[in-house]
Amino acid sequence: MALRKARWLAWVALALALLLAGGCRRAETTDQAPDVQLTLSPDPDTLVVGPLRLDVTLRDASGAPIDGATDVSLRGDMSHAGMEPVLATAAGQGNGIYRADFTWTMAGDWIVTVEATLPDGRLKVTQLEYAIQPN
Amino acid sequence: MLRAPLLGRLLKARNGRLLLQIPFLLVAVLLVYDGLTGPQLAPQNLATVTVWIHTRGLVIVAALLLGNVFCMGCPFTLPRTLARRLSGRGRRWPRALRNKWLAVAAFVAFLFLYEWLDLWAGPRLTAAVIIGYFAGAFVLEALFAESPFCKYICPLGTFNFVANTAAPTQITVHDRDVCRACPGKECVNGSARVLGCGTELFPPAVRSNLDCVFCLDCARACPYDNVALAVRRPGQEWTAGAPGDGVWPRRWDVSFLVLVFTFAAVSNAFGMVPPFYDAQAWLAGALGLTSEGARLALTFVALNLALPAVAGLAAAALSRALVGRREPLRVAFSRFAPAFVPLAVAIWLAHYGFHFATGALVIVPVLQNFLLAHGLTWLGAAPNWSLAAILPGEWLLPLQTAAVLAGFAAALFAGNRLARRDFDDPAAAVRAFVPWLLVLLALAVAALATFNLPMEMRGLS
Repeated sequence: MALRKARWLAWVALALALLLAGGCRRAETTDQAPDVQLTLSPDPDTLVVGPLRLDVTLRDASGAPIDGATDVSLRGDMSHAGMEPVLATAAGQGNGIYRADFTWTMAGDWIVTVEATLPDGRLKVTQLEYAIQPN
Repeated sequence: MLRAPLLGRLLKARNGRLLLQIPFLLVAVLLVYDGLTGPQLAPQNLATVTVWIHTRGLVIVAALLLGNVFCMGCPFTLPRTLARRLSGRGRRWPRALRNKWLAVAAFVAFLFLYEWLDLWAGPRLTAAVIIGYFAGAFVLEALFAESPFCKYICPLGTFNFVANTAAPTQITVHDRDVCRACPGKECVNGSARVLGCGTELFPPAVRSNLDCVFCLDCARACPYDNVALAVRRPGQEWTAGAPGDGVWPRRWDVSFLVLVFTFAAVSNAFGMVPPFYDAQAWLAGALGLTSEGARLALTFVALNLALPAVAGLAAAALSRALVGRREPLRVAFSRFAPAFVPLAVAIWLAHYGFHFATGALVIVPVLQNFLLAHGLTWLGAAPNWSLAAILPGEWLLPLQTAAVLAGFAAALFAGNRLARRDFDDPAAAVRAFVPWLLVLLALAVAALATFNLPMEMRGLS
């Protein structure tokens, strides 16, 4: 009887722990600047496995380039679990362009997450999807 | 093993299975939680990483090294006691469904859904699969007397049953006479304290790991301590038995399941290489199949059901004709089915082992990320995303090739033994095996060709 009670208590404790844990999770990073346009230009633009250059372009609502953004980072994840992500940092080139060396390490579907801290302190976050072909 | 000093006592303890199930349950709950509430990028979520990288890889390794420990620790059957209490004894599973046809359908349907819904890329979907497993097991346990979910439906269990015929362990008994004289047969019927075998196996009659979930309820229920978990030669059951009376049942459903298991090993890997996507594009253009689901359904029915059926029936008919023996086609069809298991296990190992070898350590940064999202720095202040592979990339193709060749060699060995067991005339034995050998060879070549192609990881379109 004691074991049965302990088992039920364990289930209840587990459920409570889950409820509490759900409330404790830190919110995911969200885009604080939806008015800012972020585009990504691969060079070369043939989407095949291998190294490339990625240009991040930031423009405000009026289309004016945004210079002076900091911590412009890129993270490439494959759609499949278990692959090491590709991480890169982009450096400012002027005219709202930030350049990073990148590598598509495998053919397949990629999700590139770009984050940039804008000069006004807001965080710009964008996710873009690419289908990469074998080389 | 059940008489080993510590391990034996632990395994046979009344709550021995719980010791394994509770950690599995906690992991399952964690995966559901992170799958539903965590980052929805598969490489960053515990649900997708653990299920599609670790569980799949370890299931096949465990089958080869230990036995069916994943069914033994399966948390989905934990609500079984509650379900039994709700249902009383429950009804019997319908006689017409007491075979592996539903298991074949569920196995192929699961593979189809995996591909169609891109389960590997969806943390929420992966969590839904886990919840679905719990619900399915609970409902069927509540409605029926035996464990129909495990025995007749569960796709993972079906995979484990077939794979674990290669295992180095098996349930048996110390003394058959004790079982003959046993009045209660508690191992099957259960006792006041312990449930009997959920899949209704009678230990002295067990000669195969098919249908055995390694729950050890039989050992716990036996009042004479007569049930053993014995170490055996891996795959022993494939070729054991007398001429015309092998250990494996000469049944259409079991034999077809094994063929499907083998063809699916190849097609599942083939689904990740460029020709598969070219074929899908061709189907879209030539047949006007604009729906991805329809294209995949057609492909899966063709590769995983029609092809094994046609190849198996053709090989069986040819084999029977070549030896000139008058026997039911079912007997010719099932004779060499066990020989397909080692090749199938090798191909699954090569495929799932690839994912495990390239991504096993990803669990570390994903767990770090999970903890950090909850304000916990137990594993460091920042995830180390450079952790991924456990083997150098250049080792993988040679290892995959070696695995497939070893599986093919084991299939030849088993096929030869089966042929010599059932045919006195060596020439007839060779003739009987040749058509099956060609099917095995074609599958091994297809697997090697697939592994030699560049892999693609799709899942967004």
